[in-house]
Amino acid sequence: MNIKVKAPISTAVAIGVGVIVLAGYFIPSMDSIRFILLRTGLVLAAVALLVGIINLATVHIKKIGKESENSGYSLILLISLLITLIVGITDMAQTYLVGRPNFQITNWVFTNIQLPIETSLLAVTTISLTYAAAGILRKRMNMFSISFFFVVLLVLLGSFSIPSATIPFLQVIRDWILRVPALGGARGLLLGIALGTITTGIRVLLGTDRPYGG
Amino acid sequence: MSATGFTGIVVVVLFVGLMISFSIINNNRKSIHVRPIAAYEKIKKEINVSVEDGTQLHISLGRGGITGPESAAGLAGLILLKQVIDKSSMCDHPPVASTGNAVLSILAQDTIRGSSQALNLADQQKNPSGELTGVTPFSYAVGTLTTIRDDNVSANIHTGWFGNEIIWLTTAGERQSSPTIAGTAQLPAQSVIYASASDPLIGEELYASGAYLGAGKLHKASISAQDVVRWIIVFLILGSILFNLFGFNTFIEDILAGSL
Repeated sequence: MNIKVKAPISTAVAIGVGVIVLAGYFIPSMDSIRFILLRTGLVLAAVALLVGIINLATVHIKKIGKESENSGYSLILLISLLITLIVGITDMAQTYLVGRPNFQITNWVFTNIQLPIETSLLAVTTISLTYAAAGILRKRMNMFSISFFFVVLLVLLGSFSIPSATIPFLQVIRDWILRVPALGGARGLLLGIALGTITTGIRVLLGTDRPYGG
Repeated sequence: MSATGFTGIVVVVLFVGLMISFSIINNNRKSIHVRPIAAYEKIKKEINVSVEDGTQLHISLGRGGITGPESAAGLAGLILLKQVIDKSSMCDHPPVASTGNAVLSILAQDTIRGSSQALNLADQQKNPSGELTGVTPFSYAVGTLTTIRDDNVSANIHTGWFGNEIIWLTTAGERQSSPTIAGTAQLPAQSVIYASASDPLIGEELYASGAYLGAGKLHKASISAQDVVRWIIVFLILGSILFNLFGFNTFIEDILAGSL
């Protein structure tokens, strides 16, 4: 019974706000209303982040309770979350007491913990990408995969910047690949994505797709 | 109103008109043929496998929000999630969803809760999944790995807004020997998906889930509308090439400049 009451209201709000925001892009006089709605949306998204973090903590508390092999990671996550929260609150209190922005400890955490971890993960990503490119022929042996593999090789061989390792002929081929087929293909894909984006948006505005409350 | 604004309205009105027209035309047809997409056939197959084996499908919705250009990819993922829940109504364990964006996480929970209520899946009403596994690209990817490695997950579907970090998700699925269906709106990540996922969704295929999984007439009508607009774009591109070849562009520029 609950869903029957909620669904028409949420659908009406979604369609109404969607139509006003869309009209604001085309009709200059509606621009101010569009900005108000978008700003409200951004504030709500920030609140949603708080809800999301509570959800994240709840999920990992449950995982610890299950005593699975990954429960240790959940414990580390919760401890890190708690420490970061305490650090953030301490910095905010200091900012309030001093009267000017003072986020030294938070900055230290991000510079010395978050940044090195993300950088090392980026390095691992590079290795994973190389592994995936090498394994494509094993996964799918067809004409497209073979051309994908050899184009990757040609572009890599044509990208050397050390003078003794450069092959001028391959550099010309690389430039042509990037300028003509790669750019043309990318534009074709982007056009397809744009068409898909428009129809998805219109279906939401027409109320056919309702990704809120089922 | 500016020329861009007028063009925008024309495009929206054209699409709405085409979609409504095609949904009326398709209503009288017994069956509508769409080109087969291997990834969607795989999703249908994996839904059946999960029903028979009592396993779960994992759907990761990416880290796109709903206020930026990435929102359509996120909405496409939510539509797919809803279709998979509807199709797996006989399943003991409805799909598990993971996201890298808080708003998307709430919407995923709402979708699961709403669809589960409609299908009377009591347990999922109380504890809907839709976990926010991380808010930065890498924390999201790493957080999702534990779900992919879950023994009860039989297949992974990644649809939404992903960057190169998707390689972590696709290779983890491969190591688990579970099928991986993936699609994103970001071009560099599409090449990563093509190289690493067992069933990639390329370009606009990401947005066609509703048409292929039986979401309704308007979904198939939107595919037809896209085809019509695609032909219009092809003719416009060819026309502009011919205009340039025969020098008509300078002729028109001269007329506009008032020199003739």
